[in-house]
Amino acid sequence: MSETTSKSIREDLTQRDELSLYTRIANNPRPFFKWAVPMLVLIAVEFPTYAGVAFGMLDAVVIGVTGLLDAAIGLVSSGLSQTIRDAQYAVVGVLRDAGGFVDGLPTLFSREVIPNQGYQTGPNGPWEGTFLGLEPAYAWALRATLIFAYALFTAYWVFRGWLVYRDHYREADWTPTDDIVDNLSNHQWGKFGIFVLILFLTMAVFGSALGPTTVEQNIQSPYSERINYFNEDTGEVDQVFPGDANFNSKSKGSAEFNVGPMSYDDYGRFHPFGTLTNGRDLFTFMMGGARITMIVSALAIGGAALIAAVFSMFSAYYSGRVDLTILTTADGVVSIPRLLLLILVSAVFANHWIGNVLNGGFLLAIIFAFTTWPFLWRAVRGPALQVAQEEWILAAKSYGQQPRTIMRKHMFPYIVGYLLVYASMSTGGIIIGLAALSFLGNGLGISPPTPAWGRAISMGQDYVSGPSWHISLLPGLMIVLLVTGLNALGDGIRDAIDPEAGGSAEGEEAAAGGGG
Amino acid sequence: MSSETHADPTAGDTEPILTVENLQTAFYTDRETIRAVDSISFDVKRGETVGIVGESGSGKSVTARSIMGLIDSPGRIMPGSSIKFQGQELTELSDAEYRSVRGSGIGMVFQDPQQSLNPVYTVGNQIRESLKINRGITGEEAVEEATDLLEAVGIPDAKRRLDEYPHQFSGGMRQRAVIAMMLACDPDFLICDEPTTALDVTIQAQILDLLKDLQEERNLSILFITHDMGVIADIADRVNVMYAGQIVEQAPVEELFANPKHPYTRALIDSIPGEHSRKEGLETIEGEVPTPNEPADHCRFAPRCPKAFDACENVPPQHVSVSDEHDHTAACLLYPEDLTESHRVEKHLSLANDDTEGDT
Ligand code: SF4
Repeated sequence: MSETTSKSIREDLTQRDELSLYTRIANNPRPFFKWAVPMLVLIAVEFPTYAGVAFGMLDAVVIGVTGLLDAAIGLVSSGLSQTIRDAQYAVVGVLRDAGGFVDGLPTLFSREVIPNQGYQTGPNGPWEGTFLGLEPAYAWALRATLIFAYALFTAYWVFRGWLVYRDHYREADWTPTDDIVDNLSNHQWGKFGIFVLILFLTMAVFGSALGPTTVEQNIQSPYSERINYFNEDTGEVDQVFPGDANFNSKSKGSAEFNVGPMSYDDYGRFHPFGTLTNGRDLFTFMMGGARITMIVSALAIGGAALIAAVFSMFSAYYSGRVDLTILTTADGVVSIPRLLLLILVSAVFANHWIGNVLNGGFLLAIIFAFTTWPFLWRAVRGPALQVAQEEWILAAKSYGQQPRTIMRKHMFPYIVGYLLVYASMSTGGIIIGLAALSFLGNGLGISPPTPAWGRAISMGQDYVSGPSWHISLLPGLMIVLLVTGLNALGDGIRDAIDPEAGGSAEGEEAAAGGGG
Repeated sequence: MSSETHADPTAGDTEPILTVENLQTAFYTDRETIRAVDSISFDVKRGETVGIVGESGSGKSVTARSIMGLIDSPGRIMPGSSIKFQGQELTELSDAEYRSVRGSGIGMVFQDPQQSLNPVYTVGNQIRESLKINRGITGEEAVEEATDLLEAVGIPDAKRRLDEYPHQFSGGMRQRAVIAMMLACDPDFLICDEPTTALDVTIQAQILDLLKDLQEERNLSILFITHDMGVIADIADRVNVMYAGQIVEQAPVEELFANPKHPYTRALIDSIPGEHSRKEGLETIEGEVPTPNEPADHCRFAPRCPKAFDACENVPPQHVSVSDEHDHTAACLLYPEDLTESHRVEKHLSLANDDTEGDT
């Protein structure tokens, strides 16, 4: 009798296993919809922004990858490389069309919905063209606050999605990830890191809506369209090119030539961070710089982490000669002075197409990835060697598992945590390195006029102790904040993976090693 | 199960499934060469359990790994070694060929059940992984099969426990799960490397019973490695006693316990707790197993041997038969007992010379 019951129970349970995620949701749709409907709304209101970012990234990746392929294959067959170039043009054409199309679509937190640029109709008169006739500063502050609030909430909602999955739809009651997430959510310093990272990602994604003006209007082509302003001398509303307005709003370190933080210039334009030495809006400049900085450092650290992960697992799994070869290569790479390499490569590729992808950022990302992986590899090799000694690796070998699968399935989950820790700490070094290059200028770093943080610092270096202190100091503080945040995140992840291991000496080493 | 089919009636019980001959595994370091396994020979017949017993450092785990082809650099199996599994010479296989022998032919259960299962995957996931690689079973069928296997190793509520993580299993249950994972490859031959050492005594007995049952059901051959004479007495049919990379005595299990010949075996048996002494472990033998970093031109047990005499330092003892009725050999200069000391030494010397000549 117990035979039959146990069998039917088993059949019962076996059926449960067949259930796909879809069926599990269909059986109990309420929690899913309670999460998914708001999520859809959240995405929908800013969909064109996300799509624009996605198309822009795809664009750069397509050009970068096909370009590299082209260069490699061009050595062998010119016909084939022509085909690749044609394909590149076609794909990029489609991407740009699509990008142009989504650009035209409305978003909720755009400068069209909450405009902050306007003009006064008379001295102390009401504002024309701003949101509800508010002063530009308030209109801008409202929009910026809404965007940050939206971004933070969206990030939280995505995390909520995982919680809903965990509580309602996941088959296992518990997985090791749960502990890590729980540890991290009790780690104040780590949470600060996550907060900072979200803040800067928001700047990268929503940068064009966050600035009081746009990079396009204020920096890249300031002589294409006039703006209205109230001319105090004539007492009338006049028109002026933003470029000309910039010329008269310079911050040059003296009392009469300075537009400081949180102030208006003579053209009724609000500057949250003040203006640059050439009269451009520093905040807009910083937002523009955030995007390129985040993209380049993400590409660089992603590439470095990928190489480091593969090599460290090879080192650990095969050891011996393979390990020695990688060790020698890594030492070779480390011995190249990074700055000299950057200068050299920048000079060599100065007029090459690859120097123009992402305004020079793609090339920088490749070089940073190339010079950073040995540090990550060194940091992760130890944990990889440790995992390779575990009995479950031997057990997997002993039932005939392929080396590739053993590395991916049984080793990678162990090193990915360490990889995240060291990667987030090394990213600080890359960001500082990028800023340093732009600071040096002269064909290094991101090519002007695309904003780059380091260039703002370099512009302001003559005025640090005068009224125009903001030009260098504010970008500098932003870099410090981001780098600190990334280190905090690294600390948080480390403590979350292994709550017992307290010492931070290794982490500091990695951060120092990653420093450019 | 298909276990009944492969027993060849003409070969019967005497056909060895595994024959190890003159196996030498050495580890090369900057300073020295460690002969972790130094020229050992033994065989395992179908359906039989052969034990290898010795202290830690005696080379028993290296023996197991050599058979599995899991010796990593700086370790190397020396030329002249031979491991034959079902007639196939394993030492000549490529990595890919070895992979197909592992699992589907030979399975291995490791010492620490805590460590043999990857903590980030569910137990079911890992059993299914093994099923997929070795038998190509996937999907729902794999779930069924995995459930059957967990039931076969005596895990209650098997279906539900498939979705649990290793740390949710107790030590004994985890070792059962590891055994299930190895059975998933449907091996003919199972190597158990101290599978019960990390478990407490009652659980240990249960796992041993499980192995005996599985052996009967599936006609498994088992090579059982342990330092524990009590466990060996319980499970093995024949025993090899290992010391410092060499086998010093070979005998059927009852014969070994009834008439231990080698001084080392005697010391091991004396040290079984509870019977003759109250002492734990191997405290009755003073000193430790030496690192076998020199060629075997003497008896490696001599520094600890209560019966050592001068020749022990200069003459490498060879296996000589020590029983008329049984297949019982020992490598000690005290045997054969009916000869005088000088004759014994001479006999061993000439056997050793024959051996080295045979090698070259
Ligand atoms: S050969 Fe000599 S030292 Fe070695 S076990 Fe026999 S008696 Fe002892």
